[in-house]
Amino acid sequence: MMKKLLFIALPFIFAGCDMFDSHPYDGQVTGQKSVNAANIARIEQACAGKTSIKFATMGDSQRWYDETEMFVTALNKRNDIDFVIHGGDLSDFGLTEEFMWQRDIMNKLTVPYVALIGNHDCLANGQDVFRTVFGQENFSFMAGNVKFVCLNTNALEFDYSHPVPDFQFIQDKFEEETPGHEKTVFAMHVRPFSNQFNNNVANVFQDVVKRFPKLQFCLNAHDHHLQADDLFTDGVMYYGSASMDKKSYLVFTITPDDQYTYEVVYY
Amino acid sequence: MKLFTTKTKMIWCSVFMLLSCATVSAQTRQKIVKDTVLIITDSIKPNGEKNYRAGWGILIPEYAKVQYAGGMAFMSIGGGWDYGKKKQWETDVFLGFVPHYSTDKNKITFTLKQNYIPWKLDVNSRFMVEPLTCGMYLNTIWGRDFWVSEPDKYPNGYYAFSSKIRVNAFVGQRVTYNFNKGRDYFKSVTFFYEASTNDLYLISAFTNSYLKPEDYIVLSLGLKLQIF
Repeated sequence: MMKKLLFIALPFIFAGCDMFDSHPYDGQVTGQKSVNAANIARIEQACAGKTSIKFATMGDSQRWYDETEMFVTALNKRNDIDFVIHGGDLSDFGLTEEFMWQRDIMNKLTVPYVALIGNHDCLANGQDVFRTVFGQENFSFMAGNVKFVCLNTNALEFDYSHPVPDFQFIQDKFEEETPGHEKTVFAMHVRPFSNQFNNNVANVFQDVVKRFPKLQFCLNAHDHHLQADDLFTDGVMYYGSASMDKKSYLVFTITPDDQYTYEVVYY
Repeated sequence: MKLFTTKTKMIWCSVFMLLSCATVSAQTRQKIVKDTVLIITDSIKPNGEKNYRAGWGILIPEYAKVQYAGGMAFMSIGGGWDYGKKKQWETDVFLGFVPHYSTDKNKITFTLKQNYIPWKLDVNSRFMVEPLTCGMYLNTIWGRDFWVSEPDKYPNGYYAFSSKIRVNAFVGQRVTYNFNKGRDYFKSVTFFYEASTNDLYLISAFTNSYLKPEDYIVLSLGLKLQIF
């Protein structure tokens, strides 16, 4: 009987060494960390010197693992995309495992990607885990001659304990002299006038964003459906990607003639 | 001397109060004496040994448990009570510690666990095997970042779940070694392992074929020391 029992028990115990979870919110991260930094290096290297770039945006992949995997498969079939921007909400409950499950799916992309922080990613100690797995919640990178400024705009999650959006960060990015910086794109999870955004500063935010060299457009996610709106009726477009269950993503092409095109792709 | 002047009234009054107080305290004292006698007779077993579990002593846990992982904490320490005809029920309480790992704070958890152990198989006089243990546990985690229901700042139903309370279900197996009767401090020691999952992992697994059992099943190991 004892032998039999050990026979059943031992494989279980040794096969699943990383199955001994302390707690769903333990913050114990295994596998790749600081994903954004590594991928930004890849993007900047691959796009260096380019004046025409093509990238995909998607987001809100929380608890849609099957659909996110389908997106990865669909995107890997094409070879014209330079990189992917995940607009945030990788997790649904802020569980530590959720960030790693999503990272492992997105890591199957053949092109590099960056992930923004969504409001669900801030739940419980999610933002600590996000920071560990992906990196800082405000960051920027260059793709060819375009500077992408990616922001945490989930103000409702922070109770004024953090500046959200962080105008000091935006100011630093404005003053930073990056060689080859000609055009700018802003990316955020929550767009102005959402109940998650700090709407007291919505107009101020827009004024600051518009100071950047050749602002092309702004990108967002969060609302789970496709959006293309001139939010402030000032000519600056906000494009929102749908959630993963809608099985679509956006593709943007920024061309040297100061034009850009975008398309919605269903998979 | 007048018997009922104001002054004498007051004296009589205080004498009466003193007397009644004395009677009351005498009665209480009697009661205490009675109770003490009762406890003493109750806490001595027929063989003359001291019975720690008499009266309120029934609340003293019958065993101590240590459990590693299992989604309740890195390490949980607790105790509990067994009951039922064949002692097939066990209720445990645990205090757990979760190191901060990549987050900025260490955490404390509390777990209330109900076990059901339907079969006990004696291998020999020393070893006993319980081929199935199963049950549920409620786990709460301390910290400002965790809430039972969403704080007021959110619109109603913005996040329809609790980050503070997890409901877990488990199955497992146990092996028990019995010490010499009366000679050792502990009656027996039990090794157990369990496989468990929680409500949020289950919701995620139900709606996705991508997630495999090794993703949403959590393992744990534990020891139980039987004291009474």
